[in-house]
Amino acid sequence: MLPCVLLCGEIEYVQDEFKEMFHGIAEVVHLVSESRSHFLSSFEPDGPYEGTVALYRRNTSSKVIGKFDAPLIHALADTSKVRWIAQNGSGYDEIDVQACKERGILVSNTPRANEDATATTTLYLMISCLRHFSMAERSLRSGTWKTPCDAAQTHDVTGRTLGILGLGGIGLRFAHLAHAFPMRIVYFSRRKAESVPDWCEYVSSVEELCKQADVLSLHVPLNQSTAGMIGEKEIRTLRRGSVLLNTSRGRIVDQEAMIRALEDGHLSSVGLDVYPDEPRVDPRLLTFPQCTLLPHIGGESAESWRTRELQALGNLKAFVLGGIGEDIVPELKTGIGNSAIL
Amino acid sequence: MSPRQPRILICGSALAGNLVWAHEEARQFFDGLADLVVMDSPNRADFLVGLKSGGKYDQIVGIYRHNTSADRIGVFDEEIIDALAETGTVKWIAHNGAGYDQIDVSRCANKGISVSNTPGAVDDATATTALYLVISCLRNYAWAEQSLRQGTFKSGLDPGRAHDVTGRTLGILGLGGIGLRLAHLVHAFPMRVVYYSRNKSANAPEWCEYIDSLEGLCRESDVLSLHVPLRDETVHLVGEKEIRVMKKGSIIVNTARGKVIDEEAMIRALEDGHLSSVGLDVYPNEPLVNPRLLEFPQNVLLPHMGTENQDSQRHMEVRALTNLRDFLRDGQGNDLIPELRSKL
Repeated sequence: MLPCVLLCGEIEYVQDEFKEMFHGIAEVVHLVSESRSHFLSSFEPDGPYEGTVALYRRNTSSKVIGKFDAPLIHALADTSKVRWIAQNGSGYDEIDVQACKERGILVSNTPRANEDATATTTLYLMISCLRHFSMAERSLRSGTWKTPCDAAQTHDVTGRTLGILGLGGIGLRFAHLAHAFPMRIVYFSRRKAESVPDWCEYVSSVEELCKQADVLSLHVPLNQSTAGMIGEKEIRTLRRGSVLLNTSRGRIVDQEAMIRALEDGHLSSVGLDVYPDEPRVDPRLLTFPQCTLLPHIGGESAESWRTRELQALGNLKAFVLGGIGEDIVPELKTGIGNSAIL
Repeated sequence: MSPRQPRILICGSALAGNLVWAHEEARQFFDGLADLVVMDSPNRADFLVGLKSGGKYDQIVGIYRHNTSADRIGVFDEEIIDALAETGTVKWIAHNGAGYDQIDVSRCANKGISVSNTPGAVDDATATTALYLVISCLRNYAWAEQSLRQGTFKSGLDPGRAHDVTGRTLGILGLGGIGLRLAHLVHAFPMRVVYYSRNKSANAPEWCEYIDSLEGLCRESDVLSLHVPLRDETVHLVGEKEIRVMKKGSIIVNTARGKVIDEEAMIRALEDGHLSSVGLDVYPNEPLVNPRLLEFPQNVLLPHMGTENQDSQRHMEVRALTNLRDFLRDGQGNDLIPELRSKL
């Protein structure tokens, strides 16, 4: 009898490839639960998810069954044979990886799959904020042509200093695109990155990064140590008139501190693709016309969707076939020797 | 009392003494060379009177001109050029801007008045604007922003309509300073860059592929970006035929001049989906925008922001003033427009 894989979230772009990938390898079960309690009780014998060894997960599933927090992970470990969660997306902050570590469940994500798309979105936000293009588009569509845009408030991209917090795949890709102008690139990472171009200048602290940057862009994952790491102190260390960009996770920034800085003009604008409590957007953000606000579409293109789905499914399949997949999240990599194998 | 210096006319907007940024440079450049006179006429009639002998603009030898002056005195058409020529003293118009379609340059040539523009100074800011339009059209960002501000976050958006920039083909019509700068910026992704120009460019990097016809360019491009000046022969250069030769789902970006595209043909192609979206910074009849363009949420529409930022605007003013100063000092400014070069 074939093992089961459960889709917590639908496949949208690669349905044909998906069918082919798992044909003869696993039974595919779809999430039919309409509540968390139903979900948790459905892995038992005769339940709809009986026999599931691995999950494909999208963040959209949290609307129905909630996030994969510690209680859910423990319940999964207690009631099911699930030992692999293949997250679609590079961000896996909705999964409690510590609980997974405790219970021997591995988690993979899809790094790299939306690096290019997300870096492109960050570039867009930067140009839009520096040049007030978002405001200009709205002003045109409202019938006032350029009024009230004021060229005196806007700047060229070329020659300005871009500060990157977190020089991982997305941060480095964004740096590359910005360097074409060129911008001066400075960065801070927990570790000084090894294979980094010589035009990426390392600075030794977040504070130093904020001192140097005209534009500060966030490219760290959300976890306990990064939540709220850009707060009142960091924002006030930026020079007056600076621009803040966030295509990572909303909760990395103290939103109240950010809004105060917009109100008094310390930040000239912000370019955001993410918010602390999506899909809710704090209405005060809409009152600053020079800001550029996107609805978390950073990695969303037809091409990156396909890549992400194929990558997550590939990890799922590799686990089902051989007991281990790729793209294990960093927090769980050291535990590989203890992983459960079919 | 010092001998009377030649006079130059600052002919720009009604604000801030007509120069916005470069007051200090202006003072330095012309100190000991010329007196600056500000054009303060509220309309053309007053301007023409001022040019006459004994009038307030008497004895002007050179003019700094910005398009905003047209709000009050209209464009530098035949009537104005003739009036300038009649003074007997005006010999140089230093235009602030790369596009000088608001000046009747053949009349100037006829009347022995030289014209300079500010190429180069606009390249970076305009190319950045074009890059923004390219990215935004491909990824549907304008639509996404509208969706957020309407309160629907991303519901209603279709990611299948949004495409990566990397790997797509950008077709550049006119590989001058701005086109080349845009090519450089998109090459970072990279996009594949193809171009058509009247002449194959000597400066083009080897990754810029030359295509020997406009039709060929349209056929190859996922995104077609226009970088030709507006002249008689470029009006409606991109029309029904050219648009229909493009692939279904293509994009047109225009940061040049509105009249280079046949707007009706473009709108028809948006209506039937042949063009998936357009990114425009210019329109045939600014500041009027055809309301039908607004019916497509995927269109990215900027109100001629190409060079609107303080850094570039300052560069442009300084460049135009430099041309004027060099004319006064050396008899010639560097940026004499191409049409007049062969005459000297």
